[in-house]
Amino acid sequence: MAYVIAEPCIDLKDKACVEECPVDCIYEGRRALYIHPDECVDCGACEPVCPVEAVFYEDDVPPHWQPYRQANVEFFDVLGSPGGACAVGSVSADPPLVAAHAGRADDPNR
Amino acid sequence: MTEVIEALSLVPKAEAKQSMKDFKSDQEVRWCPGCGDYAVLAAVQGFMPELGLAKENIVFVSGIGCSSRFPYYMNTYGMHSIHGRAPAIATGLASSRRDLSVWVVTGDGDALSIGGNHLIHALRRNVNLKILLFNNRIYGLTKGQYSPTSEVGKITKSTPMGSLDAPFNPVSLAIGAEASFVARTVDSDRKHLTSVLRAAAEHQGTALIEIYQNCNIFNDGAFEVLKDKQQAEEAVIRLEHGQLIRFGADGSKGVVRDQATGDLKVIAVTDENASQILIHDAHTTSPTTAFALSRLADPDTLHHTPIGVFRSVDRPVYDTQMSDQLETAIEQKGKGDLATLLAGNDTWTTGR
Amino acid sequence: MKTLTEGEDLSSAPAVTTTLTTRTTPVRQLDRVIIRFAGDSGDGMQLTGDRFTSETASFGNDLSTLPNFPAEIRAPAGTLPGVSSFQLHFADHDILTPGDAPNVLVAMNPAALKANVADLPRGAEIIVNTDEFTKRPMAKVGYATSPLEDGSLGAYHVHPVALTSMTIEALKDFGLSRKEAERSKNMFALGLLSWMYHRPTEGTEKFLRTKFAKKPQIAEANVAAFRAGWNFGETTEDFAVSYEVAPATSAFPAGTYRNISGNLALSLGLIAAGRQADLPLYLGSYPITPASDILHELSKHKNFGVRTFQAEDEIAGIGAALGAAFGGSLGVTTTSGPGVALKSEAIGLAVSLELPLLIIDIQRGGPSTGLPTKTEQADLLQAMYGRNGEAPVPVIAPRTPGDCFDAAIDAVRIALAYRTPVFLLSDGYLANGSEPWRVPEVDELPDLRVQFASGPNHELADGTEVFWPYKRDPKTLARPWAVPGTPGLEHRIGGIEKQDGTGNISYDPANHDFMVRTRQAKIDNIEVPDLEVDDPHGAKTLVLGWGSTFGPISAAVRRLRVEGKPIAQAHLRHLNPFPKNLGEVLKRYEHVVVPEMNLGQLATLIRAKYLVDAISYNQVNGMPFKAEQLATALKEAIDD
Repeated sequence: MAYVIAEPCIDLKDKACVEECPVDCIYEGRRALYIHPDECVDCGACEPVCPVEAVFYEDDVPPHWQPYRQANVEFFDVLGSPGGACAVGSVSADPPLVAAHAGRADDPNR
Repeated sequence: MTEVIEALSLVPKAEAKQSMKDFKSDQEVRWCPGCGDYAVLAAVQGFMPELGLAKENIVFVSGIGCSSRFPYYMNTYGMHSIHGRAPAIATGLASSRRDLSVWVVTGDGDALSIGGNHLIHALRRNVNLKILLFNNRIYGLTKGQYSPTSEVGKITKSTPMGSLDAPFNPVSLAIGAEASFVARTVDSDRKHLTSVLRAAAEHQGTALIEIYQNCNIFNDGAFEVLKDKQQAEEAVIRLEHGQLIRFGADGSKGVVRDQATGDLKVIAVTDENASQILIHDAHTTSPTTAFALSRLADPDTLHHTPIGVFRSVDRPVYDTQMSDQLETAIEQKGKGDLATLLAGNDTWTTGR
Repeated sequence: MKTLTEGEDLSSAPAVTTTLTTRTTPVRQLDRVIIRFAGDSGDGMQLTGDRFTSETASFGNDLSTLPNFPAEIRAPAGTLPGVSSFQLHFADHDILTPGDAPNVLVAMNPAALKANVADLPRGAEIIVNTDEFTKRPMAKVGYATSPLEDGSLGAYHVHPVALTSMTIEALKDFGLSRKEAERSKNMFALGLLSWMYHRPTEGTEKFLRTKFAKKPQIAEANVAAFRAGWNFGETTEDFAVSYEVAPATSAFPAGTYRNISGNLALSLGLIAAGRQADLPLYLGSYPITPASDILHELSKHKNFGVRTFQAEDEIAGIGAALGAAFGGSLGVTTTSGPGVALKSEAIGLAVSLELPLLIIDIQRGGPSTGLPTKTEQADLLQAMYGRNGEAPVPVIAPRTPGDCFDAAIDAVRIALAYRTPVFLLSDGYLANGSEPWRVPEVDELPDLRVQFASGPNHELADGTEVFWPYKRDPKTLARPWAVPGTPGLEHRIGGIEKQDGTGNISYDPANHDFMVRTRQAKIDNIEVPDLEVDDPHGAKTLVLGWGSTFGPISAAVRRLRVEGKPIAQAHLRHLNPFPKNLGEVLKRYEHVVVPEMNLGQLATLIRAKYLVDAISYNQVNGMPFKAEQLATALKEAIDD
């Protein structure tokens, strides 16, 4: 079991969650952040601090964002299980679901 | 894996392959979000399938404290007992049931304050127990008093002008108590934690693992120096049996023995002194170097903290010896006959 | 009359040439005798007493003993605090106490005389070791003039015996130092007393040769001293008469008997109980007077599968026993009052975990360190209430040394059947005192086996079968005992309040109220036999006791009835729960008197539960009640 970061994170990457995570299992992609499904310990510290409520416990991901569960897994296909995001740094890639995302109309960065 | 673990030879094996899920109980985990205990729980649940033991023959015994809620979350047999007394209770269980794998979960307050006496005697006796000591340098459950491992001058609810007592070094204490296996690890380093659990499970006798664990509510960042990327490199000394004791960026620092005092010290490695760097020997009989290694850490700032297995030696195991004595007694005197015992040596009979 | 034969010739020691001379003095019949041996702790008075007891038991008298020792291992020689004594009461009929006052005092030195003379009635015999009555030892204990010469012992019949010098003389050919020879003077005294009371001697000679098998010289020296004492009695004119006390054939129904002390009986009871329950016995204990003997005794029986663990402290002792109980052993811890105090939190845990566990308290004088070697029965309220919260624990008390065996078995029965810790309250007097005991047949012993849980015990609404660790037996309210190693029953238990049935942590108000009442009900409904009342004359006064006061109370009751005073007697073994008929019994009597060696603890319980105006009669001096004193007190209650 693990927590999952869903759509609201894309192109925002606030990183309040990263500050809270006791096991450093939240990794940075190009456009979003990803929680490692095997390294996450279900402590729930990330979920309440996200300013845009992008974080969900696996079982509680809303139906229209279910595909983000798989996205959180796919991100690590190449990386494997590094054992800590700090050592890895920012990765300039995203899984297809995120990479194909149209972007936000109100996104100042767009 | 389990076929070769001599230490677990008396514990029945699981019939089918196990997964992490098998070891999760149905209870909702209630530690504070962000607590380091979650990481340890995940690591232990992740590691248990590797041992392949029959789940019903595994027991977790805890005392009182946040960490002591641990047994409720493991789908094995478990007892959540009273403050400080888990090693004593576990000793009774382990020495009467050698077919069980007995784990003790305790904390810096539970094991080193009220439970200090039971801890040192369990270590001295070398009962077949694996003791997980969650050290967060604070009293969490009772909301923030200082603990026997808190740094001097710690300001807490019970020490508003700063604490006065020098902290214990649990590794030094354990070695002083004749411990046959002592290791230290960090909650957030899953790989390292797992490797230490593995070494402990393979050990015959008492294994003490001190786990640096972050209490993000009452003592957040207590081990930041050992986790922060920048600081950790210079602060953490990773011990591996058979390997040179080097650390720092590119292994620029090493541990050598001071020729004048015999004490250990950290030096910057050069071509001239590289040959003096110690090779870590966890299995040497003498505890002296292991003890000296444990003293390298600064008691307050934790700079130069060694982690890994400090000591892992073979000593007679209490439960084995206790059972052996029972067998020897039967060999010498034959199995006890109750009627003979009740009559004793000096009877007389009346007919009336 | 008895003749005894010459000793065997042992090549490594001088041949013992003394024979035991045939008896020529007149013999008087007595129905009972009370002897007290008194000397320095280092004089071997306990050994002397034990041997005399053994001889007496094998002769067939009924007997009761009262060892009395100081707390220190070796207090300074010749001082009052250093006096150790051993009192033995034996008779040709069944007796109940070690006797109120001795008929004979054997005083090995001035301190022993001073410490004990006040307990002697007029006309009692005193055998003194005159060699020790020199200026310094006498002055040490406050004798300005010698009591042997100044007439102060005029009320007694004094036998001066140069015990030390005669012993040394008897052993002169053994090549021992003076000090070594002197040590055998207790055997000389034993020989003399054995002659005086026609005790059989083979047992003692055999005992000495076995005890000193590795030092035959010492063995033979002791035998020689023993015989010299015997011969002295026979030849000297000072002992004009010897006494016979016939075997107490009516006191002993048919069977095989042995002499036994309370602690030994208790130890044997535990081993027997383990056998009858088919469970391995696990003792977790810490040395404490007067309970350490049980640890020692059980440690000898590893060939019965008994595990004994000398823990680092009292709490670890009970902790280990509880851990073993969790694993399916018969867990036991032994201690005295101060240890119970330390164990209280762990006992509460056992109550909450609802696991079987025996807590054996050999009570001694309190409070705090108190009087380690003296008796008292002041831990009753501690056993009843000494824990935080409502934590009821059954309490059982044996009444005689031999009864400790049965009490142990009964305590195990309750612990196992109801999954509860159980207190067994004995005391120093029972622990160290001894009496003849009928050895039970093994097939007479009760079957104590209980079943471990083996499978699911509850069906959920959706049909799934699960295991609920706190789902109770409807009759006993006991929860299932599921031990680690049983597949499919993995569960966690702890001291936090739990939901009835599931056993999950619960802070729910209604559940807590329910659980507290249920734990209480489980104990209240334990099946115990009805209280038996001995009331042959329809008395108006009842004397109610518990524990070791049985002997003195029974002796007092006997005396009163002989005098024509009707009195009823009842003695409780079960103090929690009380027998169901206790209330009804109490209401039948106008007066209820409760003699106790405390300030009224049972009386307090009786008054609270039954609203009966029980009258306390208390003594807290570290000694058992005297029958005469009790009889007088009870008479007052009857006459009121």
